[in-house]
Amino acid sequence: MAMRIPKSGLSELLKDGYKHHQGLEEAVLRNIRACRELSAVTRTSLGPNGKNKLIVNNLEKLFITNDAATIIQEMDVIHPAAKLIVMATEQQRKEVGDGSNLVCVLAGEFLNQADELLRMGLHATDITEAYSRASKKALELLETLVVKKDIDVTDRDGLIAAVKSSISSKQYGNEDFLSALVVDACMAVLPKVPANFNVDNVRTIKIMGSSLNNSTFVRGMVIDRQPDSTIKKATNAKVAVFTCPLDISRTETKGTVLIHNSEDLMKFSRDEEAQLEGAIKEIADAGIKVLVTGSSIGELALHYINRYNLIAVKVLSKFDLRRLCRSVGAVALSRLGAPTVDEAGHCDVVETIEIGSDRVTVFRQNDSGSALSTIVIRGSTRNYMDDVERSLNDAINTFRTIVRDPRLLPGAGATEMELSRLLGELGDTIPGVEQYGVKQFAEAFEVIPRTLADNAGLDATVILAKLGAAHRKGESSAGVDIETEDASLLDATAANIFDTFSSKYWAIKYAADVAMTVLKVDQIIMSKPAGGPKPRENGNWDED
Amino acid sequence: MSNAISALNPKAEFARRGQALQLNINAASGLQDVLRSNLGPRGTIKMLVSGSGDIKLTKDGKVLLGEMQIQNPTAAMIARAATAQDDITGDGTTSNVLLIGELLKQANHFLSEGLHPRLCTDGFETAKTEAIKFLNEYRIEKEVTRDLLIEVARTSLRTKLHHELADLITEHIVDSVLTIQREGERVDLFMVEIMKMMHRTDMESRLVKGLVLDHGARHPDMPKRLQNCYILTCNVSLEYEKTEINSGFFYSSAEERDRMVAAERRHTDDRVQKVIELKRKVCPPGSGKSFVLINQKGIDPLSLDMLAREGIFAVRRAKRRNMERMTRACGGVAVNSFDEMDESILGHAGLVYEHTLGEEKYTFVEEVENPFSCTLLIKGPNKHTLDQIVEAIRDGLRAVKNTIEDKSVVPGAGAFEVAAYLHLMKFKNTIKDKSSMGVVAFAQALLVVPKVLAQNGGHDPLDALVKVQAEAAEGHHAGIDVNTGEPLDPTVEGIWDNYRVKRQLLHSCSTIAGNLLLVDEMIRAGRATTKNGPDGQEMAM
Repeated sequence: MAMRIPKSGLSELLKDGYKHHQGLEEAVLRNIRACRELSAVTRTSLGPNGKNKLIVNNLEKLFITNDAATIIQEMDVIHPAAKLIVMATEQQRKEVGDGSNLVCVLAGEFLNQADELLRMGLHATDITEAYSRASKKALELLETLVVKKDIDVTDRDGLIAAVKSSISSKQYGNEDFLSALVVDACMAVLPKVPANFNVDNVRTIKIMGSSLNNSTFVRGMVIDRQPDSTIKKATNAKVAVFTCPLDISRTETKGTVLIHNSEDLMKFSRDEEAQLEGAIKEIADAGIKVLVTGSSIGELALHYINRYNLIAVKVLSKFDLRRLCRSVGAVALSRLGAPTVDEAGHCDVVETIEIGSDRVTVFRQNDSGSALSTIVIRGSTRNYMDDVERSLNDAINTFRTIVRDPRLLPGAGATEMELSRLLGELGDTIPGVEQYGVKQFAEAFEVIPRTLADNAGLDATVILAKLGAAHRKGESSAGVDIETEDASLLDATAANIFDTFSSKYWAIKYAADVAMTVLKVDQIIMSKPAGGPKPRENGNWDED
Repeated sequence: MSNAISALNPKAEFARRGQALQLNINAASGLQDVLRSNLGPRGTIKMLVSGSGDIKLTKDGKVLLGEMQIQNPTAAMIARAATAQDDITGDGTTSNVLLIGELLKQANHFLSEGLHPRLCTDGFETAKTEAIKFLNEYRIEKEVTRDLLIEVARTSLRTKLHHELADLITEHIVDSVLTIQREGERVDLFMVEIMKMMHRTDMESRLVKGLVLDHGARHPDMPKRLQNCYILTCNVSLEYEKTEINSGFFYSSAEERDRMVAAERRHTDDRVQKVIELKRKVCPPGSGKSFVLINQKGIDPLSLDMLAREGIFAVRRAKRRNMERMTRACGGVAVNSFDEMDESILGHAGLVYEHTLGEEKYTFVEEVENPFSCTLLIKGPNKHTLDQIVEAIRDGLRAVKNTIEDKSVVPGAGAFEVAAYLHLMKFKNTIKDKSSMGVVAFAQALLVVPKVLAQNGGHDPLDALVKVQAEAAEGHHAGIDVNTGEPLDPTVEGIWDNYRVKRQLLHSCSTIAGNLLLVDEMIRAGRATTKNGPDGQEMAM
């Protein structure tokens, strides 16, 4: 009955159920493999010819999209190293709002290249050091590749060209129509200082039916319900916004009505009516035509609202209510009563229109003074509209990026190819083992043009060879032409294909950072998954 | 050999003598193996995945030991000693585990040759006393300047974060401690608030001389940016509160009810009115001054509305700990009642603004005069980066504080260990009995630190060690350059360890290692073990 002498090693020390991976083979290479798998998934969705993915998430909701951010998010990745990449893409989405696929693909490729180095026998720390040096250099070089430094925020065509590449990577075929729509909607709400452009000021609303080409934008807000009042339309209206219910006031403490006889009862009801009428009348007398509330509308109040020919709309979302306040320039009141002149807003047209079978209330401003604009997306299926909405959001974010930092880089893989060339040259000048790391880092950038070509069904090897040759000759904006049958090149600057500087900058930064983090990990210690449903077998784990 | 324990309790499990010792040594070296690769600036990172799938990346021994649920009793004991090291001095956890493991390994060597454990531990004790004596001579007393503090903090941080970030944060940490330091008072590190913000990159972390609150003004119409602000810190409820006893209103007409509604509000409104009056008094229109209200209790929407109309920036439900920091940073007095307020209780800040990040809002209070509290604002792209930085900062702050209190430092990069080794090897000649073996074991064990440093840097540990020893034997301060594997002089490079960390290290590991060596019987009794019980594997029948 003697105790067994435990073998040395961590797993013996820990509680049951702990998993422990250590060392190059077991931890580093496995992590790399998992990350590569993840980026292989999103890789085929890169660029205009990217394929869609059909994902059914854990809530059984169906997604058909080629937006990497959505794909990754809904895939519910559990592998810890791959999860790091997921976090990097999320951060990219928060920071720039576009380019999450770029992060994922680049990070996967950086690790892929590191894998080769590790097998060659390089130490992981050497690789990370080389990578950190190369990524810093890459970001410096990126600034020298900028082809357009400033953009006129009133130049519609210039803006459309800048936004187009973002849209065409997701809605290829509709990019002309959609980018014009986005730019119009954004320009309508562009503040005096363009850098203060707020993405939140361009809303989207999806209404089923008709076709995408019938999508429009409205200066102002669209609320997807109709007014409760009988009057549905007002022009040149003063608007009062309330956060409290349009109803008789109540005490917070419970109240009891003291009634001694039937007369009291009659009197109480009459008083109540008179009081509410007084309140509504007061509002109507102040010239208000439209009442908006973030809460309920009482029956009695509705009666008087109708009697005084007012429009009453319920906007149940707190955020929508705030946006509406911004749009009409009103101050939300927390007590029922007539607003002062400052507090009341103004809206040129408030009307209920029927789009498809839905009735919506439109708050429209005729002049360009609206603080908000809304894009009405039409489409045949909900999935399709969801996808369009996502790409529009990306495009709106791109617009914001452009007005804040108007620097543009040539698209179509030209920037990546040039970076790859410049970094490769840099690698040649470095003595010692670091040069391998820098060179592999440089090579990783080629994944973008290669993927663009692959996805377009072109011969990637031929294209890469041609691209390499062109770039060595100094054609720094030569990119992949995906529209030809034979593998040919185009000049991205001349063809008006641009990427924003910030999106590239952050994507490279986050991708390099996450690759380095993954490489630095040499031990994984996992505790037993806590209760709840068991994670699906082989979800994203390497099989072994 | 029949065993008394089995007669007393047939179910008990036990291990005796050599076996017990083996158990201890194996556990210690197992733990050592885990932490070994953490040590030093070139150490690698561990990834911890919690039960719920959360990811944590760390190089910090303390965090690692805290997160792993260690079950082996010996390993748990070592882990506890190492954690205690962190609690007391704020650093040195990894070294601690390494040393204990190495002490046992070295002792094992002598024990297998027939040395009695007791003599071995006696040797440890003598060696420890001598090593501490040596440490007192070896440490360098220096004037505490900003440069020295930066060097100390950098040494600590570089073992936990990547270089650039460590260098950036080092300065912030030192400045933050210098900000809150007051002549003749102990440094209260709680006055440094650490605020995390998931935003952009880790290189944008900075020191805010003032405060950052992790919530914003609660009303959309409140100003987002104010300059030249008076700050009223208070703990007064500005919301309607129900009575404790059951109560109700009775009314018989709508008018009466309206009056009651008004009366109900009046109480709260009066208080808000007092604040507004004060604001009007101290910030007459056109004076360019503004007013900020920071309340620990709640403010209800109606009160917020009134404040917003006056252009007052109000923050509700501020954290308790921030209330003290607020008055330290901005001056003023925190008030618990709005009666008899005047300008003297108000604090002052040059700039107050709100920063929105997605759903989260942050309020920055900056440009304060003569602050005694400040905030380290940590930025990073994701949660695990933030956590990693916060943990490193804790250690960095402690390192700075230790230096200020010790007024002396110890050359780092393994220099002390190498020097102590040489010293002890000379010292052992003065001991005539067998306990000198223990001293040798102790001296050998110390070398684990420079060895592992070299190993983690990707160099041959023995090569590096020999070179450093040769250098040290000539009387120089010699440590290991993790980048080249060659010896370097830590006093020139500015690599400093804390005196108290080393002292605690020597104390605690010799004690624990001694204790573990003296165990000659392990008994696990009184616990029903079933075959498939949780310990079925580890403690096989």
